[in-house]
Amino acid sequence: MRRLLIGLTALAIVAPLTACGSTDSPGGRRDDGSAAITVGVIPIVDVAPIYLGEKQGFYRDRGIDLTLKTGQGGAAIVPGVISGQFQFGFSNVTSLLVAQANKVPVRAVANGGASTGRDGADFGGITVGKDSALKTAKDLAGRKVAVNTLKNIGDTSVRESVRKAGGDPDRVTFVELAFDQMAAALDSGQVDAAWAVEPALSTIKGRGGRVIASNFVDVAPDLTVALYFTSAEYARRNPELVEKFRAATKESLAYATGHPDEVREILTTYTRIPEATLRAMTLPHWPQEPNRASIETLAALGEKDGIFKSAPDPDELLP
Amino acid sequence: MTAAAPGPGVGSPPGTGQGSPSGTGAPLTDTAAPGPELGPGPRPQPELGPGPGKSLPGPSNALLGLAGILGFLVCWEAVSRAGAVSADFFPPASRVLRALASEAAEPAFWSALGDTLTGWALGLLIATAAALATGTVIAVVPYLREVTASTVEFLRPIPSVALIPLAVLLYGTDLRSTLLLVVYAAFWQVLVQVLHGVQDVDPVAEETARSYGLGTWARIRHLLWPTALPYVMTGVRLAAAVALILAVTAELVIGAPGLGSRIAVAQTSQAVPEMYALVVVTGLVGLLINLGARLVERRALFWHQSVRGEAAL
Repeated sequence: MRRLLIGLTALAIVAPLTACGSTDSPGGRRDDGSAAITVGVIPIVDVAPIYLGEKQGFYRDRGIDLTLKTGQGGAAIVPGVISGQFQFGFSNVTSLLVAQANKVPVRAVANGGASTGRDGADFGGITVGKDSALKTAKDLAGRKVAVNTLKNIGDTSVRESVRKAGGDPDRVTFVELAFDQMAAALDSGQVDAAWAVEPALSTIKGRGGRVIASNFVDVAPDLTVALYFTSAEYARRNPELVEKFRAATKESLAYATGHPDEVREILTTYTRIPEATLRAMTLPHWPQEPNRASIETLAALGEKDGIFKSAPDPDELLP
Repeated sequence: MTAAAPGPGVGSPPGTGQGSPSGTGAPLTDTAAPGPELGPGPRPQPELGPGPGKSLPGPSNALLGLAGILGFLVCWEAVSRAGAVSADFFPPASRVLRALASEAAEPAFWSALGDTLTGWALGLLIATAAALATGTVIAVVPYLREVTASTVEFLRPIPSVALIPLAVLLYGTDLRSTLLLVVYAAFWQVLVQVLHGVQDVDPVAEETARSYGLGTWARIRHLLWPTALPYVMTGVRLAAAVALILAVTAELVIGAPGLGSRIAVAQTSQAVPEMYALVVVTGLVGLLINLGARLVERRALFWHQSVRGEAAL
């Protein structure tokens, strides 16, 4: 009996290991010409163009069989692209610069989304509650400001707003809070201000909140906020496919810019933004090319704030 | 299953001196688990509500449960309407129930529910099978028990959610990521119970069985199995609840398809009533899973004193 049981144990230990081994091979990579690609996206407003482009057939026309997979934030998407679960991904510029500074080989392939560049009318901004005494970004010194992720594009751009308004950015306390909880946190006074993007921004405004600064606009007139990217290895091995994806994405960005109503319409398919908010929202801009100067500014600001372990090289990241 | 099978093993425990024979096992995490000393008296199920022994008649039990839920809904409605928190952020129950109704009309909701239940069921199945196999082997071979004891105690408290980066690296955002977390969490629940259950075999009965010439399989069938089964059932019931929690968490955090990712999308979309409606659904699913697990437990252990209750004594 004992021998039998030992044998069984050996089996129990080895079986899962071999099972691991068989699924360990990089999945999702199909280089046989069918060009089935998976893109990791976040279910937010910014990625509307790729949904639209998929619907319009911009990818199909170029022989790309596109699958969009939603993950929650960059935490799921950057590793997914690096491990080959997704061939392309969507992420904000600072996250990609952080990855690059950490020697994670990511390459931007197409523009993702950009600020509108209009002060007070951007798709994101620093907001305060209805009864707040704060008037400008300068007043944020010594206050508690909510951002969705610490050491990322939110706090680095809010610091820049404070700096430009003549305040001391080092005296701002940042707290991490999900966008969707910011309206409630402002109401109850848990934070003095919050950096919010749509649709949270519209919710806050709808409750009487005010935008006291447009932090993206303060960083650069036309800030590139997010990019579509791939891994360096995938880019090297599939240059034509990357080029096709870039072309299709450019067409999608242009189409989204020309058809804002269709953007709001497609949002109902992958988000659950309530009708009223959907109509009130400020959409981001979707230029076809990233604004290199603005990305360099973000890199410099991030360095100043100590976000990066080593200085990132925007030339390495950008196409 | 023949009711006579347990025979001397469980039906008439010697009560004295048996305790937990070697004491290698860690204390059970759950108070509802049958303790190491299966004394003659206490039922190993000090559960909420009337135990099966002094059970009220079925229908009134269900009625009481319903009354509890109704009471909860009334409190919820009152708290929200009293303005303790803004109704925009914590909508009253009636609004959430309306959202629930419109939710149920959408096919996407049902496929999300299906995804969650698939992750739950598959994960629970894999974890239970793996834990039964490993647990039995480890428990029967004393040497293995010593070798693995500290490892099990080291791995068991690691929160499954800590494995999320690993899951995403290996499997991206699909079902397999959910499964990794679910299996990891549920496995230990069952394993620990199996270890205790197998150890609980009455040595006197074991000796008796040997001296009567029962073979390995007969001893497993008539001695080990009936002794361990109550433990295993407890483990599976606990694992069923944990598996659901982890399935929803994985979907919520990673974005794997299911109720959890639907909750996350509702959250980021500022669709507050819809979000609470989905949260209510996960609660309901948990309730049904618990009811089902208890039903299975009662069926599988109909011969056991914990189920037969006082009548058996």
